[in-house]
Amino acid sequence: MGNLLYLYGLIPSKEAEQSLPALKDFDGNGDIYMIPVGKITAIVCNLDAENYSEEMLKERINNDMEWLQEKAFHHHETVLKLANLYTIVPLKFCTLYKNQDSLENAVIENEAKLLDTFGLIKGNEEWNLKIYCDDHLLKKQVGENNPTIEAKKEEISQLSKGKQFFEKKKLDKLIESELEAEKNKTSEKIHLQLKGLALRGDVKKAWSNDVTGRKEDMTWNSVYLIPKTKVESFLEEVRRYEKDMKEKGWKFEATGPWPAYHFTSF
Amino acid sequence: MQPVNQTNGKINLDPDNAEHGLAQLVLTIIELLRQIVERHALRRVEGGTLTDEQIENLGEALMNLEEKMEELKEIFGLDDEDLNIDLGPLGSLL
Repeated sequence: MGNLLYLYGLIPSKEAEQSLPALKDFDGNGDIYMIPVGKITAIVCNLDAENYSEEMLKERINNDMEWLQEKAFHHHETVLKLANLYTIVPLKFCTLYKNQDSLENAVIENEAKLLDTFGLIKGNEEWNLKIYCDDHLLKKQVGENNPTIEAKKEEISQLSKGKQFFEKKKLDKLIESELEAEKNKTSEKIHLQLKGLALRGDVKKAWSNDVTGRKEDMTWNSVYLIPKTKVESFLEEVRRYEKDMKEKGWKFEATGPWPAYHFTSF
Repeated sequence: MQPVNQTNGKINLDPDNAEHGLAQLVLTIIELLRQIVERHALRRVEGGTLTDEQIENLGEALMNLEEKMEELKEIFGLDDEDLNIDLGPLGSLL
Protein backbone atom coordinates (compact mmCIF):
# COMPACT_ATOMS: atom_id res chain seq x y z
CA MET A 1 0.00 0.00 0.00
CA GLY A 2 1.16 3.54 -0.69
CA ASN A 3 1.47 6.63 1.38
CA LEU A 4 -1.16 8.83 2.94
CA LEU A 5 -0.64 12.56 3.29
CA TYR A 6 -0.97 14.17 6.71
CA LEU A 7 -1.88 17.82 6.26
CA TYR A 8 -0.66 20.31 8.89
CA GLY A 9 -1.72 23.53 7.23
CA LEU A 10 -2.07 25.65 4.13
CA ILE A 11 -0.06 28.79 3.38
CA PRO A 12 0.03 31.33 0.52
CA SER A 13 2.54 30.14 -2.11
CA LYS A 14 4.09 33.63 -2.09
CA GLU A 15 5.32 32.94 1.43
CA ALA A 16 6.58 29.47 0.53
CA GLU A 17 9.75 31.05 -0.84
CA GLN A 18 10.96 31.04 2.72
CA SER A 19 12.12 27.46 3.10
CA LEU A 20 10.73 25.13 5.73
CA PRO A 21 12.79 24.54 8.85
CA ALA A 22 13.72 20.90 9.46
CA LEU A 23 10.70 19.55 11.33
CA LYS A 24 10.19 15.88 12.13
CA ASP A 25 7.11 14.21 10.67
CA PHE A 26 4.19 12.53 12.46
CA ASP A 27 6.08 9.26 12.87
CA GLY A 28 9.31 10.95 13.85
CA ASN A 29 11.23 9.27 11.00
CA GLY A 30 11.09 11.69 8.09
CA ASP A 31 10.64 15.40 7.49
CA ILE A 32 7.64 17.50 6.64
CA TYR A 33 7.56 19.11 3.19
CA MET A 34 5.58 21.43 0.92
CA ILE A 35 3.29 20.66 -1.99
CA PRO A 36 2.49 23.77 -4.08
CA VAL A 37 -1.03 23.84 -5.55
CA GLY A 38 -1.15 27.09 -7.53
CA LYS A 39 -1.43 30.09 -5.21
CA ILE A 40 -1.68 27.83 -2.18
CA THR A 41 0.95 25.56 -0.69
CA ALA A 42 0.17 22.60 1.52
CA ILE A 43 2.53 21.57 4.32
CA VAL A 44 2.41 17.81 4.75
CA CYS A 45 4.22 14.64 5.67
CA ASN A 46 3.92 11.07 4.45
CA LEU A 47 2.28 8.37 6.50
CA ASP A 48 2.42 4.68 5.75
CA ALA A 49 -1.15 3.70 4.80
CA GLU A 50 -0.69 0.27 6.30
CA ASN A 51 0.02 1.65 9.76
CA TYR A 52 -2.55 4.42 9.67
CA SER A 53 -5.87 3.00 8.52
CA GLU A 54 -9.01 4.87 9.54
CA GLU A 55 -9.97 2.14 12.02
CA MET A 56 -6.55 2.12 13.60
CA LEU A 57 -6.59 5.88 14.04
CA LYS A 58 -10.08 5.85 15.56
CA GLU A 59 -9.04 3.08 17.91
CA ARG A 60 -5.94 4.93 19.07
CA ILE A 61 -7.65 8.29 19.44
CA ASN A 62 -10.33 6.72 21.62
CA ASN A 63 -8.26 4.25 23.61
CA ASP A 64 -4.58 5.12 23.63
CA MET A 65 -4.22 8.27 25.70
CA GLU A 66 -0.44 8.20 25.72
CA TRP A 67 -0.26 7.98 21.93
CA LEU A 68 -2.92 10.66 21.55
CA GLN A 69 -1.13 13.02 23.90
CA GLU A 70 2.20 12.58 22.13
CA LYS A 71 0.75 12.99 18.64
CA ALA A 72 -1.59 15.85 19.49
CA PHE A 73 1.39 17.62 21.05
CA HIS A 74 3.44 16.98 17.90
CA HIS A 75 0.65 18.41 15.73
CA HIS A 76 0.22 21.45 17.94
CA GLU A 77 3.96 22.18 18.22
CA THR A 78 4.49 21.81 14.47
CA VAL A 79 1.59 24.09 13.55
CA LEU A 80 2.70 26.62 16.17
CA LYS A 81 6.23 26.74 14.68
CA LEU A 82 4.79 27.11 11.19
CA ALA A 83 2.46 29.87 12.36
CA ASN A 84 5.51 31.85 13.50
CA LEU A 85 6.90 31.75 9.97
CA TYR A 86 3.90 31.83 7.65
CA THR A 87 0.30 33.01 7.36
CA ILE A 88 -1.21 29.61 7.96
CA VAL A 89 -4.66 28.04 7.85
CA PRO A 90 -4.09 25.35 10.50
CA LEU A 91 -5.70 21.96 10.03
CA LYS A 92 -7.38 19.85 12.68
CA PHE A 93 -5.44 17.01 14.29
CA CYS A 94 -5.25 13.96 12.01
CA THR A 95 -6.38 15.46 8.71
CA LEU A 96 -5.36 12.83 6.15
CA TYR A 97 -5.59 12.58 2.36
CA LYS A 98 -5.40 9.36 0.39
CA ASN A 99 -2.98 10.78 -2.14
CA GLN A 100 -1.64 13.99 -3.62
CA ASP A 101 -4.46 14.19 -6.17
CA SER A 102 -7.21 14.21 -3.57
CA LEU A 103 -5.38 16.88 -1.56
CA GLU A 104 -4.84 19.02 -4.65
CA ASN A 105 -8.49 18.72 -5.66
CA ALA A 106 -9.63 19.78 -2.20
CA VAL A 107 -7.31 22.81 -2.27
CA ILE A 108 -8.40 23.84 -5.79
CA GLU A 109 -12.07 23.53 -4.87
CA ASN A 110 -11.59 25.83 -1.87
CA GLU A 111 -9.06 28.20 -3.41
CA ALA A 112 -11.16 31.37 -3.36
CA LYS A 113 -12.27 30.82 0.25
CA LEU A 114 -8.71 30.06 1.35
CA LEU A 115 -7.30 33.18 -0.32
CA ASP A 116 -9.97 35.25 1.49
CA THR A 117 -9.01 33.60 4.76
CA PHE A 118 -5.31 34.40 4.23
CA GLY A 119 -6.39 38.01 3.72
CA LEU A 120 -8.33 37.93 6.99
CA ILE A 121 -5.65 36.39 9.20
CA LYS A 122 -2.50 37.99 7.74
CA GLY A 123 -0.94 40.36 10.27
CA ASN A 124 -3.40 39.28 12.96
CA GLU A 125 -3.14 36.97 15.92
CA GLU A 126 -5.61 34.66 17.61
CA TRP A 127 -5.85 35.09 21.38
CA ASN A 128 -7.98 33.23 23.85
CA LEU A 129 -9.49 34.65 27.00
CA LYS A 130 -10.80 32.56 29.85
CA ILE A 131 -12.52 34.19 32.78
CA TYR A 132 -12.80 32.33 36.07
CA CYS A 133 -14.87 33.26 39.05
CA ASP A 134 -14.79 32.34 42.72
CA ASP A 135 -18.51 31.80 43.33
CA HIS A 136 -18.21 31.90 47.12
CA LEU A 137 -16.62 35.34 47.12
CA LEU A 138 -19.00 36.70 44.54
CA LYS A 139 -22.05 35.17 46.23
CA LYS A 140 -21.13 36.99 49.40
CA GLN A 141 -21.04 40.29 47.55
CA VAL A 142 -24.30 39.64 45.72
CA GLY A 143 -25.89 38.68 49.05
CA GLU A 144 -24.57 41.77 50.79
CA ASN A 145 -25.02 44.48 48.21
CA ASN A 146 -28.41 43.70 46.83
CA PRO A 147 -31.24 45.70 48.52
CA THR A 148 -33.92 43.15 47.54
CA ILE A 149 -31.94 40.38 49.20
CA GLU A 150 -31.17 42.52 52.24
CA ALA A 151 -34.87 43.26 52.73
CA LYS A 152 -35.78 39.61 52.28
CA LYS A 153 -33.20 38.56 54.91
CA GLU A 154 -34.69 41.01 57.37
CA GLU A 155 -38.19 39.69 56.65
CA ILE A 156 -37.08 36.09 57.15
CA SER A 157 -35.46 36.75 60.51
CA GLN A 158 -38.93 37.60 61.89
CA LEU A 159 -40.41 34.22 60.94
CA SER A 160 -40.70 31.05 62.99
CA LYS A 161 -37.89 28.47 62.77
CA GLY A 162 -39.56 26.01 60.40
CA LYS A 163 -40.73 28.68 58.00
CA GLN A 164 -37.34 30.34 58.13
CA PHE A 165 -35.80 27.16 56.76
CA PHE A 166 -37.90 27.21 53.60
CA GLU A 167 -37.58 30.94 53.08
CA LYS A 168 -33.80 30.70 53.45
CA LYS A 169 -33.73 27.98 50.80
CA LYS A 170 -35.79 30.14 48.47
CA LEU A 171 -33.45 33.04 49.10
CA ASP A 172 -30.43 30.86 48.35
CA LYS A 173 -32.02 30.04 45.02
CA LEU A 174 -32.60 33.71 44.33
CA ILE A 175 -28.99 34.57 45.18
CA GLU A 176 -27.83 31.74 42.93
CA SER A 177 -29.76 33.04 39.95
CA GLU A 178 -28.71 36.65 40.64
CA LEU A 179 -25.13 35.41 40.76
CA GLU A 180 -25.37 33.71 37.37
CA ALA A 181 -26.96 36.80 35.87
CA GLU A 182 -24.27 39.01 37.37
CA LYS A 183 -21.46 36.77 36.12
CA ASN A 184 -22.84 36.72 32.60
CA LYS A 185 -23.55 40.42 32.51
CA THR A 186 -20.06 41.34 33.68
CA SER A 187 -18.30 38.87 31.39
CA GLU A 188 -20.31 39.98 28.40
CA LYS A 189 -19.51 43.62 29.06
CA ILE A 190 -15.80 42.81 29.22
CA HIS A 191 -16.06 40.71 26.06
CA LEU A 192 -17.72 43.55 24.14
CA GLN A 193 -15.07 46.01 25.25
CA LEU A 194 -12.21 43.70 24.27
CA LYS A 195 -13.93 42.91 20.99
CA GLY A 196 -13.58 46.60 20.21
CA LEU A 197 -9.81 46.09 19.94
CA ALA A 198 -10.16 42.98 17.76
CA LEU A 199 -11.21 42.32 14.19
CA ARG A 200 -13.41 39.51 15.40
CA GLY A 201 -14.40 38.03 18.71
CA ASP A 202 -16.34 34.83 19.26
CA VAL A 203 -17.79 33.35 22.42
CA LYS A 204 -17.11 29.67 23.01
CA LYS A 205 -18.52 27.17 25.45
CA ALA A 206 -17.03 27.50 28.92
CA TRP A 207 -15.29 24.35 30.11
CA SER A 208 -16.44 22.38 33.14
CA ASN A 209 -14.27 22.04 36.23
CA ASP A 210 -13.55 18.43 35.27
CA VAL A 211 -11.75 19.70 32.16
CA THR A 212 -10.00 22.67 33.74
CA GLY A 213 -9.15 20.82 36.96
CA ARG A 214 -9.67 24.11 38.80
CA LYS A 215 -11.75 24.99 41.80
CA GLU A 216 -13.19 28.18 40.33
CA ASP A 217 -15.83 27.93 37.63
CA MET A 218 -14.98 29.05 34.15
CA THR A 219 -17.46 31.83 33.50
CA TRP A 220 -16.40 32.85 30.03
CA ASN A 221 -14.34 31.46 27.16
CA SER A 222 -13.79 33.56 24.07
CA VAL A 223 -11.42 33.96 21.13
CA TYR A 224 -10.31 37.09 19.37
CA LEU A 225 -8.57 37.84 16.10
CA ILE A 226 -6.44 40.86 16.92
CA PRO A 227 -4.21 43.00 14.68
CA LYS A 228 -0.60 42.55 15.84
CA THR A 229 -0.37 46.28 16.56
CA LYS A 230 -3.25 46.05 19.04
CA VAL A 231 -2.24 42.90 20.91
CA GLU A 232 -0.35 44.85 23.57
CA SER A 233 -3.36 47.10 24.24
CA PHE A 234 -5.58 44.02 24.45
CA LEU A 235 -3.28 42.40 27.02
CA GLU A 236 -2.96 45.66 28.91
CA GLU A 237 -6.75 45.84 29.12
CA VAL A 238 -6.95 42.25 30.40
CA ARG A 239 -4.31 43.03 33.05
CA ARG A 240 -6.31 46.06 34.10
CA TYR A 241 -9.46 43.96 34.58
CA GLU A 242 -7.42 41.40 36.52
CA LYS A 243 -6.04 44.09 38.81
CA ASP A 244 -9.37 45.81 39.38
CA MET A 245 -11.45 42.68 39.91
CA LYS A 246 -9.05 40.23 41.54
CA GLU A 247 -10.24 40.93 45.04
CA LYS A 248 -13.85 40.36 44.05
CA GLY A 249 -12.98 36.80 43.01
CA TRP A 250 -12.38 37.20 39.27
CA LYS A 251 -9.44 35.73 37.38
CA PHE A 252 -8.45 36.40 33.78
CA GLU A 253 -6.30 34.25 31.59
CA ALA A 254 -5.29 35.43 28.14
CA THR A 255 -3.25 32.99 26.05
CA GLY A 256 -1.76 33.27 22.59
CA PRO A 257 -0.84 33.87 19.93
CA TRP A 258 -2.44 30.65 18.68
CA PRO A 259 -2.61 29.43 15.10
CA ALA A 260 -5.91 30.90 13.87
CA TYR A 261 -7.93 27.70 14.41
CA HIS A 262 -11.14 29.53 15.24
CA PHE A 263 -11.14 31.97 12.39
CA THR A 264 -10.31 29.57 9.57
CA SER A 265 -11.89 26.46 8.16
CA PHE A 266 -10.99 24.02 5.42
CA MET B 1 -3.17 2.57 42.06
CA GLN B 2 -3.23 6.28 41.44
CA PRO B 3 -4.67 8.44 44.22
CA VAL B 4 -8.21 9.45 43.38
CA ASN B 5 -8.95 13.13 43.36
CA GLN B 6 -11.85 13.51 45.75
CA THR B 7 -13.26 16.51 43.97
CA ASN B 8 -13.88 14.75 40.66
CA GLY B 9 -17.08 13.01 41.69
CA LYS B 10 -15.43 9.66 42.34
CA ILE B 11 -15.68 7.78 45.58
CA ASN B 12 -12.31 7.21 47.16
CA LEU B 13 -12.31 3.50 48.03
CA ASP B 14 -8.71 3.06 49.11
CA PRO B 15 -8.08 -0.53 50.36
CA ASP B 16 -6.03 0.75 53.29
CA ASN B 17 -8.66 3.21 54.33
CA ALA B 18 -11.88 1.48 53.42
CA GLU B 19 -14.00 2.85 56.27
CA HIS B 20 -13.36 6.40 55.12
CA GLY B 21 -14.33 5.53 51.56
CA LEU B 22 -17.43 3.77 52.83
CA ALA B 23 -18.42 6.73 54.99
CA GLN B 24 -18.06 8.97 51.93
CA LEU B 25 -20.22 6.61 49.87
CA VAL B 26 -22.93 6.33 52.53
CA LEU B 27 -23.02 10.06 53.22
CA THR B 28 -23.17 10.80 49.50
CA ILE B 29 -26.28 8.64 49.19
CA ILE B 30 -27.85 10.16 52.29
CA GLU B 31 -27.10 13.62 50.96
CA LEU B 32 -28.73 12.74 47.62
CA LEU B 33 -31.87 11.53 49.40
CA ARG B 34 -31.88 14.52 51.72
CA GLN B 35 -31.70 16.89 48.78
CA ILE B 36 -34.55 15.09 47.02
CA VAL B 37 -36.73 15.24 50.14
CA GLU B 38 -35.86 18.90 50.67
CA ARG B 39 -36.68 19.87 47.09
CA HIS B 40 -39.92 17.93 47.20
CA ALA B 41 -40.88 19.61 50.48
CA LEU B 42 -40.11 23.02 49.03
CA ARG B 43 -42.42 22.29 46.10
CA ARG B 44 -45.20 21.20 48.49
CA VAL B 45 -44.77 24.40 50.50
CA GLU B 46 -44.85 26.52 47.35
CA GLY B 47 -47.89 24.57 46.16
CA GLY B 48 -49.83 26.03 49.08
CA THR B 49 -51.56 22.80 50.15
CA LEU B 50 -49.91 22.53 53.57
CA THR B 51 -51.17 24.08 56.78
CA ASP B 52 -48.95 26.47 58.75
CA GLU B 53 -48.37 23.80 61.34
CA GLN B 54 -47.32 21.24 58.74
CA ILE B 55 -44.92 23.73 57.16
CA GLU B 56 -43.44 24.51 60.55
CA ASN B 57 -42.92 20.84 61.42
CA LEU B 58 -41.48 19.99 58.04
CA GLY B 59 -39.14 22.99 58.11
CA GLU B 60 -37.84 22.18 61.54
CA ALA B 61 -37.33 18.51 60.70
CA LEU B 62 -35.38 19.39 57.56
CA MET B 63 -33.35 21.95 59.41
CA ASN B 64 -32.36 19.38 62.03
CA LEU B 65 -31.49 16.92 59.29
CA GLU B 66 -29.27 19.52 57.67
CA GLU B 67 -27.51 20.20 60.97
CA LYS B 68 -27.00 16.46 61.58
CA MET B 69 -25.54 16.13 58.12
CA GLU B 70 -23.06 18.93 58.85
CA GLU B 71 -22.03 17.14 62.06
CA LEU B 72 -21.49 13.85 60.22
CA LYS B 73 -19.42 15.56 57.56
CA GLU B 74 -17.31 17.10 60.28
CA ILE B 75 -16.81 13.74 62.03
CA PHE B 76 -15.64 12.02 58.85
CA GLY B 77 -13.59 14.98 57.63
CA LEU B 78 -15.62 15.42 54.46
CA ASP B 79 -16.72 18.63 52.79
CA ASP B 80 -19.49 19.45 50.32
CA GLU B 81 -17.34 18.67 47.31
CA ASP B 82 -16.66 15.14 48.58
CA LEU B 83 -20.39 14.42 48.56
CA ASN B 84 -21.01 15.91 45.17
CA ILE B 85 -21.99 13.58 42.37
CA ASP B 86 -22.56 14.16 38.70
CA LEU B 87 -26.23 13.56 37.89
CA GLY B 88 -25.64 13.67 34.14
CA PRO B 89 -28.13 15.92 32.34
CA LEU B 90 -29.42 17.21 35.70
CA GLY B 91 -26.02 18.70 36.54
CA SER B 92 -24.20 18.07 39.80
CA LEU B 93 -25.96 17.34 43.06
CA LEU B 94 -24.42 20.21 45.03
